[in-house]
Amino acid sequence: MRKKINNVAVIGSGIMGSRIACHFANIGVKVLLLDIPYEEKDSIKNNNGQSVRNKIVNTSLNDTLKAKPSAIYSKLFASRIKTGNLSDDISKISEVDWIIEVIIENLEIKKNLFQNIEKYRTPGTIISSNTSGIPINKLIEGRTDDFCQFFCGTHFFNPPRYLKLLEIIPSKKTDPELVSFLMSYGEKFLGKTTVLCKDTPAFIANRIGIAGIATLFKLSYELDMTITDIDALTGPIIGRPKSATFRTSDLVGLDTLNSVAEGVYNNCPNDEHKDIFKLPPFIKKMLENKWLGDKTKQGFYKKDRDSKGNRKILSLDLNSYEYKVQKKTKFETIEKAKKINKLKNRLPELIKGQDKAAQFYKKMFAFMFAYVANRIPEITNDIYKIDDAMCAGFGWEMGPFALWESIGIEQGIQLIESENLNQPAWTKILNNTKSFYKIENGEKTYLNINKNSQCKIPTLNKFIILDNLRTKSLIWKNQGLSLIDIGDGVLNIEFHTKLNSLGKDVIEGVQKGIEIGEKEFKGIVIGNQGEHFSAGADISMIFTLIVEQEWEKLNLAIKTFQNTSMLIRYSNIPVVVAPHGLTLGGGCEFTLHADSVQCAAETYMGLVELGVGLIPGGGGTKEMALRASDLYYQGDVELPRLKEYFLNIGQAKVATSAHEAFDLGYLQKGKDNITINTNKLIEDAKQKVLLLDNLGYTKPIKRNDIKVLGQEGMGMFLVGADTFREGGYITEHEQLMCEKLAYVLCGGNLSSSTKVSEQYLLDIEREAFLSLCGESKTLERIKHMLEKGKPLRN
Amino acid sequence: MEEVYIVQAYRTAVGKSKKGKITFVRPDDLGAQLIEKIVQKIPNFNKEEINDIIVGNATPEAEQGLNIGRMISLIGLNSVKIPGITVNRYCSSGLETIAIGSAKIKAKMSECIIAGGVETMSNIPMGGWKITPNYQVAKNHPDWYWGMGTTAEAIVKKYQITRIEQDEFAYHSHMKAVSALKNNLFKKDIIPIEIKKTFLNQESVIKNITYSFEEDEGPRQDTTIEKLGKLKPVFAQGGTVTAGNSSQTSNGAAFVMLMSEKMIKKLNIEPIARLKSYAVCGVEPKHMGIGPVEAIPLALKQANMSINDIELIELNEAFACQALAVIKEAHLNPDIINVNGGAIALGHPLGCTGAKLTVQLLNEMKRRGLKNGMVTMCVGTGQGAAGIFELLN
Repeated sequence: MRKKINNVAVIGSGIMGSRIACHFANIGVKVLLLDIPYEEKDSIKNNNGQSVRNKIVNTSLNDTLKAKPSAIYSKLFASRIKTGNLSDDISKISEVDWIIEVIIENLEIKKNLFQNIEKYRTPGTIISSNTSGIPINKLIEGRTDDFCQFFCGTHFFNPPRYLKLLEIIPSKKTDPELVSFLMSYGEKFLGKTTVLCKDTPAFIANRIGIAGIATLFKLSYELDMTITDIDALTGPIIGRPKSATFRTSDLVGLDTLNSVAEGVYNNCPNDEHKDIFKLPPFIKKMLENKWLGDKTKQGFYKKDRDSKGNRKILSLDLNSYEYKVQKKTKFETIEKAKKINKLKNRLPELIKGQDKAAQFYKKMFAFMFAYVANRIPEITNDIYKIDDAMCAGFGWEMGPFALWESIGIEQGIQLIESENLNQPAWTKILNNTKSFYKIENGEKTYLNINKNSQCKIPTLNKFIILDNLRTKSLIWKNQGLSLIDIGDGVLNIEFHTKLNSLGKDVIEGVQKGIEIGEKEFKGIVIGNQGEHFSAGADISMIFTLIVEQEWEKLNLAIKTFQNTSMLIRYSNIPVVVAPHGLTLGGGCEFTLHADSVQCAAETYMGLVELGVGLIPGGGGTKEMALRASDLYYQGDVELPRLKEYFLNIGQAKVATSAHEAFDLGYLQKGKDNITINTNKLIEDAKQKVLLLDNLGYTKPIKRNDIKVLGQEGMGMFLVGADTFREGGYITEHEQLMCEKLAYVLCGGNLSSSTKVSEQYLLDIEREAFLSLCGESKTLERIKHMLEKGKPLRN
Repeated sequence: MEEVYIVQAYRTAVGKSKKGKITFVRPDDLGAQLIEKIVQKIPNFNKEEINDIIVGNATPEAEQGLNIGRMISLIGLNSVKIPGITVNRYCSSGLETIAIGSAKIKAKMSECIIAGGVETMSNIPMGGWKITPNYQVAKNHPDWYWGMGTTAEAIVKKYQITRIEQDEFAYHSHMKAVSALKNNLFKKDIIPIEIKKTFLNQESVIKNITYSFEEDEGPRQDTTIEKLGKLKPVFAQGGTVTAGNSSQTSNGAAFVMLMSEKMIKKLNIEPIARLKSYAVCGVEPKHMGIGPVEAIPLALKQANMSINDIELIELNEAFACQALAVIKEAHLNPDIINVNGGAIALGHPLGCTGAKLTVQLLNEMKRRGLKNGMVTMCVGTGQGAAGIFELLN
């Protein structure tokens, strides 16, 4: 099946509907978003005629477009969504390639809608439902063969731009070719992890996820723990998002959670833990009180202000139903585990102790392992699908089976047994098995339960997974960085420090990589598969050198950083930088110096050095002066362009998507590109290296034709900074930083505009950077960032 | 010295710069149509007897560049023989040109001059397209280049003006203007301008329409002190100057025709008024809003008058805070100031404002049967201006 998706209709404009519409707009698809017409009540007179009929859909979409974090990559993309209502505009669905239903979770209402859709739908058009609980096979009752053949469940997770899971649930009649098309399209075009599910209640992720939440509701009673305690134990410490359990529930909405739980309870008579889905009495009470979570402004948590107007967060006491400030409990287990960096090594520690936290983990894991084990083959035959779904849909770092493996398969079985929980027959044969997953020959395999042997995890589109290549293809490594051969003559430079910050090891490693690359490879990808590409330079090193007044060493360190950036651009082989997630400060500077950037759509790029009292000193300020100069044309007034770049750095702007990074000038049209699916990024970057090599890459010649504006530009920036200081928008120290920044961007206080070299700009950039290092208020800023992880304004 | 008289005084209606009926109308076209119609008001007048067109403009670049004074003459009068000049003293430009014209006629350098000003703020940013301060000045006296909003906040600080005072002042400006509009008080000021517009309709088809522009767009009947109180400060963190208590950015033109005594006798024309005195002064650039406090006494002294002789005042409302500070410091009678609303409601087309306020002042004096009135304003980079007019007959 070769299909092209250019137009989709999304029916239902609630939170999910309008966000799904935004995500299709994100990838360049035209969207028709429909909802029921606004029926005028006698008391409300309309004066706009037609548009009033679209009031419901327009209000929903506008709310979604305003929400933060943004559902849309760039505000401009909103024009790709047209709105309409189901009475006046339903006939337009005949022109679309895919119709997606996202209306209320009610079988009869959905069936009526499908009946109506069938009148207008062009045969062969894909039609899918985003239902999270209604069996797909029930939805197609009464529909024609063509409808059924092209009908499938496509279940997105909220927020659909950010959560990576897309569950694909075929009915008995769905054309298998459509299923493989949707699996591949979801992955490649929508950037999702697509997981093929059976048509069982709540499918995979919600079934496991909600069982997990429900059991924690129960445990909180059994062990008399507060909700803040449980959130502290079920967040990042076990590789889950900060929102942990109850905060996640507030985000999802207790009503949604309850309806999924009820659905499972009513439709899964054979689930051995069915009772867990009958939620405890406090949930009923909360539902009655409309304490549903964020949508009603209070759930398990409630934001409030104290008498001084400062924000505070209260949490619900499940015994008294009062919102209280709850103290954090200290658990010995947590204190010990915190010190272990890697999740894989941390997990076994959690169940070793005797305190309440360890008891909690033993019970929680025992339940989780037993529950997922019993779901095979009910909801899927393959363990990796459960892990994939939980990671992509709930943002877990490790799925249940991977987690079980980390704790030890045998230990896991012992936990299940000590809690007297049911386990399926297949776990009995696991005695001698040490792992669910293995890496063989650079490829990941999983334990196939049916065959009781390791099988390759099938792939749809080509991905490079660095973890799989780490043992087989490692060329060189140090503490902070690895050089990995990713095949076809391409070398990957991977950072692996905390937050991928750039310290001595990374700088040395990049230089080493380029040295090896120039000798033995066609080209280089600088990319990694950590949570973020890089949070910036390692400021602790800078801090130490300042405190010790080692100015010469500091000068040398900055110079080495600059030289490394320059090496990225001026090497004999193409270097493609592949950023994703946070790409800040030095991470951004490296990116700016790539021959070409292959950027994940979800990349948050910015030069944020002013936050720590500095200006970009690794070539970033030089590069923005160069880029401004390249955009000047004959007769141009020039200054406004330079001002944009000045403000980007001066306000430490961070792009909220790769598209916005283009708008800010950090990415360049014609040179840099976007990959929607972050998992595919390294592969795409590698292909780009090969393309550049194929086209005949020649090392660029260093620039000495950069037009700087000198005093002409500085005058404006000095006045601008003074105006901002007078208006109280910036501090005196920030005014000083702005002046230094202006000095570099303008090429110093030259009397007239002048053409200068890159090295000249690098030298004054370094001079400005070092002079700020000598300011006590800069030192205060760096110290604050190191201690508190937040910028200080002084 | 020759005596000099104002024999014609008109303005266009003032349009909003962002969303209005004349956002796309060029300033040269706007000014040209106005002077063309002013000249037509005098029966059997030979336009080539006009010696000069003096046009005030605060941002003479882009559409307003290339000596817009000369362009307005060429387009409006359909003759190559009448020269044109552009004069910039920012917000007093339109008054300055009347003073220059009067002085030239007094000195017998000219017999007849059209003087006033024009500004369209829709297309040209405040300060122009390329703001390029002198580097040395920027280092040593950056406040000389501060934006006007920043100077307004400095006035707030220095003269302790509260937010509520400013919002109340703004509210009353609107209410007075709304009432004046309702009572058609500006009808006598305004010459309707005929506009031709070519645009794409919703089906992307080119359409042409023509319409007449004749009513001020600025006044807001629906504003309240509460609504004004909700606006956020725009020039300072925790500041009090908002879009609501500042003058509006606008488009407009206004001109007067000046003639020597000799000429009015020859043509048998009835004079309207005369400029008795005009003075400008300098103050600290960062407190530019206070300029009128220095300029008013100078203008009074020239005219040998006291402030009590002035019966009606148009005090340009650049910002409510500076207007309030000026009223307090110059001991002005608030009851005779901006009786039909000010720039906060009616708009402030920078270089046009001096002439526009003159037109409004003269018509209101006539309506009230008054003799002496004053136009005064603060001017960017620390200046003030004041002109005293005597209504004749």
